[in-house]
Amino acid sequence: MANYAHPEVLVETDWVKNNLGNPGIKLVEIDVDTKAYDAGHVPGAVGFNWQTQLQDPVRRDILTQDAFDKLVGGAGISPADTVVIYGDNNNWFAAYGFWLFKLYGHKDARLMNGGRVKWLNEADKPLTTERPNPTPVAYKAAAPNNALRALVPEVLEASRTGKCNLVDVRSPDEFTGRVIAPSGMSETAQRGGHIPGAKSIPWNTAVQPSGAFKTADELRAIYLEQKGVDPKKPAIAYCRIGERSSHTWFVLKYLLGFDQVKNYDGSWTEYGNLIGAPIEK
Amino acid sequence: MNHQLRVYNDIFEMLPSEENPSPLVRINRLNPAPEFALYAKLEWMNPFGSVKDRAAWAMLRDLEERGELGNGRGLVEPTSGNTGISLAALARARGYHLRAVVPNKVPLEKKILLKIAGAELDVVSDELCPAPGLGDGSINLAKTHAKASSHRYVMPNQYENEKNVEAHLRTTGPEIWRQTEGRITHLFVSLGTCGTATGTARFLRGQNPRLKVIAVQPTEGHDVPGLRNLSQLDVSRLFDRSLIDDLLEIDYKLAYTRALELCQTEGLLAGPSSGLILEGARRILERDRAGLGVMIFSDNVFKYTANMVKHIPALAAGTQA
Ligand SMILES: Cc1ncc(COP(=O)(O)O)c(C=O)c1O
Repeated sequence: MANYAHPEVLVETDWVKNNLGNPGIKLVEIDVDTKAYDAGHVPGAVGFNWQTQLQDPVRRDILTQDAFDKLVGGAGISPADTVVIYGDNNNWFAAYGFWLFKLYGHKDARLMNGGRVKWLNEADKPLTTERPNPTPVAYKAAAPNNALRALVPEVLEASRTGKCNLVDVRSPDEFTGRVIAPSGMSETAQRGGHIPGAKSIPWNTAVQPSGAFKTADELRAIYLEQKGVDPKKPAIAYCRIGERSSHTWFVLKYLLGFDQVKNYDGSWTEYGNLIGAPIEK
Repeated sequence: MNHQLRVYNDIFEMLPSEENPSPLVRINRLNPAPEFALYAKLEWMNPFGSVKDRAAWAMLRDLEERGELGNGRGLVEPTSGNTGISLAALARARGYHLRAVVPNKVPLEKKILLKIAGAELDVVSDELCPAPGLGDGSINLAKTHAKASSHRYVMPNQYENEKNVEAHLRTTGPEIWRQTEGRITHLFVSLGTCGTATGTARFLRGQNPRLKVIAVQPTEGHDVPGLRNLSQLDVSRLFDRSLIDDLLEIDYKLAYTRALELCQTEGLLAGPSSGLILEGARRILERDRAGLGVMIFSDNVFKYTANMVKHIPALAAGTQA
């Protein structure tokens, strides 16, 4: 498939259709617009709400290992299952969900290429409002794999030393500090701008008009040649709250095959609020 | 039905047609070229207040005739307001329900009007981060309802429905041809779904191949409800560039200032999309100097008081005791 480094983590809509009802394959929809799942989803798919289910409800953090076990096990997903994740906005939060599955050690997680818009626009792909009724199973996640997650100290170090690629995937206006967040978004920061040394490569550079990912050759030309991401160094992707950067994290790690890539899920809503952190505009 | 006495058996009989055209009114004080007769076609005189009565009626009739409606099945449609208001009122008067999917930036007046007209509202925040392949949030959500709940909803889809074009081919075009006694030389339109532009221009071109068609579009990032900038036009399958001689991109703020001038100097209480057309027409009149032009004025200003104040803040002055 399109010469990706790890093609096994991406499935096409036709593949999903042919595997509907296959008991070892579990579908998960995760959207920005939390109304979308209720309006209609792929038959058999469970819906996860990123605001209420994928974050810790009290402190600012990803959901705990315990909560992950309950959520995923409650959706009838076993550690041995193939989990196929898809969502709106070209898989923004689907990629975030994928990142969480990987962080908690799930073996076989995949993204549906093109997300819900591609499925919606293909005449032979059904949608339903019927919610599945999964039988809960015991799920035991691994301890979080921190090789996939960047925290503030290493972000500051990456910026200071230049030993790690910093990729800012937000819109150009957010990068330059003209706006702090896209209009209509409630999570914001005290300051606008970007982390010194970061390269601006908006997340949507990676997708074609159909919503599917560009080919590996196209992606290599953009990220390595045009934008100068150094494949010999590790990389950290960030955005505003860590969802768009999950999308680019996925591109760098699985489609281009970078060895060490981390998602900085704190992203601008953390960094832009830190006292004394250096900012460029 | 008696068009002369204007006595009707139901609201459907009042819908526009060649025998019952919407009025053409001449522009006097805002016309920069005296040799050029310029008319506005007042679509807000239609029963539900806008040009969209035509497309809504044609699409609804078509669905009825094909047996797609009834037995609990109604309509779902992405709409910036006018199509929804027409569709909701028409549908409810015929016993069907309508779910209208609207972008959040649509003015509150229009949202409330939709509810008053009988629509159920679904509001989506449309401009999270423009991206390839996403399409338009409201169109996607409406399509989702139509696909996932097809027993409850059928989606006319004004952006792709040929009946939207046909409505203007059968009514707006012939009305104008008859009202101008075939003397029209220039047609001025704005672009949303492009049904108006494509249908009207196609008919009039058939009558007069030398007719000039001028379409106006607001600058990118605009705030003119109902209209689309060229960069947003790919959602419309009904756009036919070959029918358009001049495609003018105009600073969207002029939509508001020209609308206000129409209100205050011509007595035409026109909405912003009409203001934008007037600006485009004035530029062409100064270039071509002579002819007979017709502008399609889609709706009046009543739905836009909040938008008008936003873009012409002086309107708010002196409104509080
Ligand atoms: C106020 C207003 N002006 C102009 C238009 C454009 O008409 P059309 O959709 O036929 O291109 C619309 C349509 O939605 C509208 O609501």
